[in-house]
Amino acid sequence: MSKLATVVRAGLRSNFGLATIKYRILKEKKDRWLVPLFGLAALGVVPMFYGIVLLIQNVYYVLRPMGQERALLSFGILAGQLLILLFGIYYIIAAFYFSRDLELLIPLPLRPSEVMASKFAVIVINEYLTAAAVVLPIVITYGVLARGGPGYWVNAALVYAALPVIPLAVVSLVVVVMMRFINVSRKKDALILVGSILLLVLAFGLQIVMGRSMGGGAGPDTSSAAIAAFFTSPDSLLNRVGAFFPPARWGAKAVAGGFTGEGLANLALLWGVSLLLFGAMVVLAEALFYRGLVGLGETTGKKRRLTRAEMSRRVTSGRRAFAAIFAREWKIMNRTPIFLLNGTLVVVLLPAIFVIMATVGGGGAAGGGGDGDGDAMALLKAMASANPLVVILATALFMTICGSVNGTSSSAFSREGGQFWISKAIPVAPREQAAAKFLHSYIVAVLGVITAGVVSAVVFHLGAAHLAAAAAIALVAGVLLTVVGMAIDLARPLLDWVNPQKAIKQNLNVLLGMLADIGILTIVYFGVKALVKAKLATNAVLGIVFAALVALSVVSYAALLKFADKRYPRIES
Amino acid sequence: MIDLTHVSKSYNRGKIKAVNDLTLTVKPGEIFGFLGPNGAGKTTTIKMIVGLLRPDSGRIAVEGFDVGTDGLKAKQVTTFVPDSPAVYERLTGLEYLNFIGDVYGVPKAERLERIGKWLEIFELAAVVTNPIQSYSHGMRQKIVLTAALLPAPRVMVLDEPLVGLDPRAAHQIKEMFREHCDAGKTLFFSTHIMEVAEKLCDRIGIIHKGRLVACGTMAELKAVDRTEAGQSLEEIFLELTDK
Repeated sequence: MSKLATVVRAGLRSNFGLATIKYRILKEKKDRWLVPLFGLAALGVVPMFYGIVLLIQNVYYVLRPMGQERALLSFGILAGQLLILLFGIYYIIAAFYFSRDLELLIPLPLRPSEVMASKFAVIVINEYLTAAAVVLPIVITYGVLARGGPGYWVNAALVYAALPVIPLAVVSLVVVVMMRFINVSRKKDALILVGSILLLVLAFGLQIVMGRSMGGGAGPDTSSAAIAAFFTSPDSLLNRVGAFFPPARWGAKAVAGGFTGEGLANLALLWGVSLLLFGAMVVLAEALFYRGLVGLGETTGKKRRLTRAEMSRRVTSGRRAFAAIFAREWKIMNRTPIFLLNGTLVVVLLPAIFVIMATVGGGGAAGGGGDGDGDAMALLKAMASANPLVVILATALFMTICGSVNGTSSSAFSREGGQFWISKAIPVAPREQAAAKFLHSYIVAVLGVITAGVVSAVVFHLGAAHLAAAAAIALVAGVLLTVVGMAIDLARPLLDWVNPQKAIKQNLNVLLGMLADIGILTIVYFGVKALVKAKLATNAVLGIVFAALVALSVVSYAALLKFADKRYPRIES
Repeated sequence: MIDLTHVSKSYNRGKIKAVNDLTLTVKPGEIFGFLGPNGAGKTTTIKMIVGLLRPDSGRIAVEGFDVGTDGLKAKQVTTFVPDSPAVYERLTGLEYLNFIGDVYGVPKAERLERIGKWLEIFELAAVVTNPIQSYSHGMRQKIVLTAALLPAPRVMVLDEPLVGLDPRAAHQIKEMFREHCDAGKTLFFSTHIMEVAEKLCDRIGIIHKGRLVACGTMAELKAVDRTEAGQSLEEIFLELTDK
């Protein structure tokens, strides 16, 4: 046990970089500015959280008279577990099979299950942080509103502790068996990519099914008697939500039940199944884990000599440094699964997810059109005719979020990692390198604007004039947000990673970039509000917003290039 | 030519002096071997020469270009091979070579000739279209060396270039060093292999605790050490760094 604790502790320290943070802040006295910045960012998030809490409170008061309020808890827990499942797939595959420290751990006198359990523990801790944003507001708000006693809070803590175990253990079991019997080590990139996309599809498929089933209960085809029957039975909604993933139901009943028989029984059930699955994973790890690792890191390619003509064709000539750096960025981003998923693919998937959520949430038929339009779309259409300014700005916001709120720009420098020495050693001016990186990040943003535009046109039937106006604003806003993301990453690039996941998924700069994006969009919102209050015509408001964004974009882009010239020599690699 | 004048560099806000008032000139046509125990300041010096680190004080010039103020011109005539071959794993060997060719502006005919020559010598021709990810440590080292040779630079700076190379490749590299310098170019490299330094280098510098404790030809080093004649470089090194 002590050996396991040692490995877990080492894993946690290296994963969260605690020693590095301590060293940088206390010894080197770098990064100290981050401390107040975090305080500021936390303050910035407060209004958003306040809004979420208000929303939860409203839902609670709607559900309580019908005896359905506990469904809120099961929804929160289910959402948390789905999120864990979604992130877990990357983490599990990457940590179990492709993390480089395995080469150090395997020769140590440790059992396979100890190595695997240590990796598992690190992921569980990581997932506590991931799920916190979704689960904690609901559980805490519910507890306060329902005046939960000690039983509620103790059980809530115990349920939260067990929350990631079941989804992660299920993923682990599947992955360990799969890795043993399929020779996938040579195709690890494809594995991570296909696995992640499949899980995304699964998660959203599940959401559609859930949405349909739950929406069906209140749909126009259902008789009022059926609705009444549904709602007169307490917890029918909870059971319905929980039916898709029973642990969510157990968790909700355990928390809401507190120290009652029902609460304790459900808590025991949740913990029992969690431990059982964890135990199964340990047993399986002893038998299969190392066998699946055979050939780890041994990627081999086919050997083939190029003919003279082929070589002549494939050796480039006369390409400018700018183009070479752009091509490098593009290739590395799209060939690294974690980068691809969090950058290029996100901008394509995000609009699709919005569509699924809108169509399902609206209770209408997917695909939209004609009589099948849901409430959301009907509302949107009504708004479009009533207030074009709102529609154009809302569409521009949708396009901007789809295009720019991802990790591409705010990891532009961090993604180079240990290879940053090349960028410093080559005879290319930092401003030229930054410009090439900007173009790459911006193209990803434009891709998002285009997909969001297609969605707006096809699904929401937005007119060409509205679309063009929204796209113009989103494209300019994209410049500004891309520049801000890059500037944040350039100020403190994270270069000492070994696992690419750290460069984009666990990179603080990505979070800071998103907070900055939210800040900028909030400022724009208040600007528009002021212009509307001043009773300016729609076109005038749009014109002013567009012109202001153009001016800011031009100035910030020039500043970024200047900053690159100043910053590059100071980045020590 | 490489010129270091009173160069100092410290870490941890001045608490650790990695390089302390280093003055050194490497002349054109010279193979200069840079020796020192672990942590003596070799890699820090090398990184400052190629612009990866900024000195706290002093001046570094490569072919007359100040690395601090005229960095791009200095980089245009220099290539660098680091001690660990960290290169873009997701690119193929050929894509990486093309990238280097592009950023240094190497014309196509020269690219084809040099890439062909070094891929043959390093036995990489059959794998050059595979991702670097699939290369062994030695193969990565060879692709970095090929990339460093591609622009035919006036100055080459190499940090432990022979580590991880098989004997044949190491032999070829040593021959290349000689050819490079016979053409009037400059080569600066660090190594822990005393025999290589002794046989190959025109001059040798020994750094210890950030200070240059000896610099000169083998004959000059033996004279400085004032020990019995016929001593090997290893013995001189141990003597000078045993303080």
